[in-house]
Amino acid sequence: MNQTAQQDLRDEEIVALCQQGQREVFEVLVRKYMEKAFRIAFDFTHDTEEAKDLSQEAFLRAFSRIKQFDGRSSFYTWFYRLVVNICLDHTRRKGRVIWERLEKEKEGAMETVELADGSSLPDEEAIAGEAKRRADQTLEAMPNKQRTAFLLRNHQGLSIPDIAKVMKTTEGTVRVYLHRAVAALRQSLMEFV
Amino acid sequence: MKERSDTLRTACKDFEEDLVLYYYGDGSENERIRVQDHLQTCSSCREFLEDLRKLLPQMAKPNELPSEFWDNYYDEMVQKLAAHEEHQAWWKSWFVPMRTWMMPAFGTAVVAALAIGLVISRGHWHYPFSQTQEQIPQEILTDTNQLEFFKSMDMLETLSSLEGQDGTKVQPGNNQHG
Repeated sequence: MNQTAQQDLRDEEIVALCQQGQREVFEVLVRKYMEKAFRIAFDFTHDTEEAKDLSQEAFLRAFSRIKQFDGRSSFYTWFYRLVVNICLDHTRRKGRVIWERLEKEKEGAMETVELADGSSLPDEEAIAGEAKRRADQTLEAMPNKQRTAFLLRNHQGLSIPDIAKVMKTTEGTVRVYLHRAVAALRQSLMEFV
Repeated sequence: MKERSDTLRTACKDFEEDLVLYYYGDGSENERIRVQDHLQTCSSCREFLEDLRKLLPQMAKPNELPSEFWDNYYDEMVQKLAAHEEHQAWWKSWFVPMRTWMMPAFGTAVVAALAIGLVISRGHWHYPFSQTQEQIPQEILTDTNQLEFFKSMDMLETLSSLEGQDGTKVQPGNNQHG
């Protein structure tokens, strides 16, 4: 099968071919989902190298478990779950380190504001940077489930039923997580809106 | 993005969650109509929704990465997959000849072989601790009297250790009955 034909295949067909032993077809899934997987991991880590490693680990895990995929959910829901779980494990392991980094960033931001106050009015870019930092801090401080629901909806554009499948919970719970996350973000960013 | 000094106005409690869903285009048709109707009369909820429209797309804006990054990412991933497959193939070379039904058959054969081995070798096995027992020297074995003497000494030793365990002491004259 040539590359163009492979790229036209649906996910389920690609998975079926992989399960039959045509492992090289998996590379089509890598091409298709690498950016999304990387983005999720980046939202959790805020570090390019870590995001790359984690998302690649998710692909390897999907590759080695492809025979266990039973088609009850779509491939991307199944794969998103792998990525999110790997990221959450990583976040739990590195929880302390992230908090230390956040504290440092907070101190750095305070110094920047103090300097700016002494010289001239901060420009749009500086405010946008500060807003981004504040948003990141608020996200980091959120419970994992709230943050995951928010990132999957806001950053990845997954539907609420799909998020519920990825997080193995109900749609109602996802709505609550999403609402709480958005309320917290609005609260912390109100001065930048 | 402009700094705003006014205080944060909250949306109506009953509508806040629905407004978040409304922003994302989620929720049922009925919910959407209900929210739309409410927005026409509630300025706080309109402001809340406006805030979401300004705030949330900004957060989702990804950092643009050069195309080389994605080319490297893909190449690296393909290499990792190949290495992973090679590693799996090494394991398979050991286990693939063994089909699924062969695994339990192999296990049963091993257990049966062990059981037969144990039955056949019964009585020929020596426990390691049995070798620690003291061997009786040859010069004692040759003299029957000495052998009897040492045996009675062993018996006395055993008796006194038993008495020690019971916490009672047998007096020299007390072992005579009547």
